[in-house]
Amino acid sequence: MGNFLPLIQNENMKIYRRPRTWVMVGILVLLVLTISILWLIFGERSNTSMWDVAFMESSILFLLVTIFTVVIAAGGVAEEFTSGTIKLLLIRPWSRSKILLSKYISIMIFALLLAIILFGSTLLVNWICFGINAGPDAETTFVGMDGGNPFSYMLKYYGLTLVSLVVTVTLAFMLSTIFRSSGLAIGFALFLLLGVNSFVGLIAMLDYTWIDYLLFIHLNLTQYLDGNPMREGMTLGYSLTVLGVYYVVFIALTWYIFNKRDVAS
Amino acid sequence: MEQPIVKLHNVTKKIGKRTIIDRLTLDLPLGEVFGFLGPNGSGKTTTIRMMVGLMSLTDGEITIGGHSITKEYEKAIRHVGAIVENPEMYKYLSGYDNLIHYARMIPGITEHRVHEVVKLVGLEGRIRDKVRTYSLGMRQRLGVAQAILHKPQLLILDEPTNGLDPAGIRELRDYLRLLSKEEGIAVFVSSHLLSEMELMCDRVAIIQNGKLIDVRTIRGEHAAKASNRVVIEIDQPQAAINVLQAAGLAGELEGTNAIAVEADRESTAAINASLVAAGIKVYGIRAQVKTLEDQFLEVTGGERIG
Ligand SMILES: Nc1ncnc2c1ncn2[C@@H]1O[C@H](COP(=O)(O)OP(=O)(O)OP(=O)(O)O)[C@@H](O)[C@H]1O
Ligand SMILES: [Mg+2]
Repeated sequence: MGNFLPLIQNENMKIYRRPRTWVMVGILVLLVLTISILWLIFGERSNTSMWDVAFMESSILFLLVTIFTVVIAAGGVAEEFTSGTIKLLLIRPWSRSKILLSKYISIMIFALLLAIILFGSTLLVNWICFGINAGPDAETTFVGMDGGNPFSYMLKYYGLTLVSLVVTVTLAFMLSTIFRSSGLAIGFALFLLLGVNSFVGLIAMLDYTWIDYLLFIHLNLTQYLDGNPMREGMTLGYSLTVLGVYYVVFIALTWYIFNKRDVAS
Repeated sequence: MEQPIVKLHNVTKKIGKRTIIDRLTLDLPLGEVFGFLGPNGSGKTTTIRMMVGLMSLTDGEITIGGHSITKEYEKAIRHVGAIVENPEMYKYLSGYDNLIHYARMIPGITEHRVHEVVKLVGLEGRIRDKVRTYSLGMRQRLGVAQAILHKPQLLILDEPTNGLDPAGIRELRDYLRLLSKEEGIAVFVSSHLLSEMELMCDRVAIIQNGKLIDVRTIRGEHAAKASNRVVIEIDQPQAAINVLQAAGLAGELEGTNAIAVEADRESTAAINASLVAAGIKVYGIRAQVKTLEDQFLEVTGGERIG
């Protein structure tokens, strides 16, 4: 019924009118600045390529993008329940599915926005710090053996991490809907993400077939960029398929539960 | 009577093994303020949650404007405005932004309408402030504002006077009566404050332990006449009852040295005269008007919660 856009507008309002959102953006940009300036002061400027710093910062700070988006996603449904606002939100001429969809879309927009801010700020800051008058010895070293274009390599890197980000955030969104507690959803999602991720290398070495289907083996897609996958024989296509299956399950569960649940808070 | 806008038919809710609402059947016509009265925990909020689709029905059916709330939710809820329990709003947004938020969800609500409603609930002065800074009564007013924003045909308010000051209660009462009489909408108000229901409602349903006990008309031609019970304090109750019996009146013992009898103004004087003539000392006479509260306590047996 009617126009769906106002619903997304509403959800965006609920994200961007809160100071915490802008604190997150601020922290992200500030960290980019700090790392670059420290590098400028303590590193060797003449043989530093802006791409090296930008890539290093991106790979570290993307974790922060994930954490921040998980925090917002975990709050998405849960906070409506804990604050009781869910009641007045749902008694409108919109199906629960559409209300949930508007939340999901606005969270995805936020994830994309943070990624773009990170991408843009690392490039801009490092271009100013190292790019404008790069020393003659500056050589981009991270691109590996193929010596390709660092910009397109970065784009590929962001593309692959964004895919994992979408899956992780969908997981957090699902937990938020199931537990109706943002703390629990954040804790659980980050535990899975950070906790299990540190063991993932070990687990990957085990020789059981079921490990091939574990979500965490596939969450780090950038392993394919340099051509050495965590487990032998794994391909990007295979990983994407496994992630896709998980994604569909997460989405189906989230929508099913949200539609069925009695609102009695 | 017009076609009822809301029909509850055999509505039942079970949570686990407990039956919280038990085969509730009710019709609400347009143009009436309908009270939903019950002690704490009797199932008022649960019924309202089912009426607005927040809870599923274990059994039975609810239709609003002819649309089933379970099967055609979007159509059924389109013309409903409601407050369910406390009107919780987004605390980090201003009152105005909260209203804009709800206005966006229904096509056709202009900014002008938002301002109109703000004025109506008397929040002009504070509407740009964050809801975080509102008092309970101000939140309640904002709750009423979001409920009437889209000019609903059915207004469901769960204990709307909770937190309102006397002036606010008065305003709300007058406004609800105005809405029902002038605009012909149906208003469904729950409360456990009986005196308030008497002033506000045309009819009152009494619910207890999830069961509908009684529906009473308070205003209009069917309204039950207030009974004129007269309590007479005397020294010989039994003798007095005999005197009344002789006059064809049924008196009953009220405490140890008083009797009660149904009588109007004139017959009260006559009774007094005959009692004095029979040598009975009359210490006092007072009329006892039964309020809805007495009736309510009578019906529910003044029972404790649970
Ligand atoms: N989610 C739930 N799970 C189990 N029982 C519940 C749930 N919600 C309500 N109840 C029970 O249902 C009964 C009715 O509760 P409800 O909130 O509808 O009462 P009420 O009439 O609104 O009371 P009050 O005047 O206190 O607001 C209570 O006994 C309550 O314990
Ligand atoms: Mg209640």
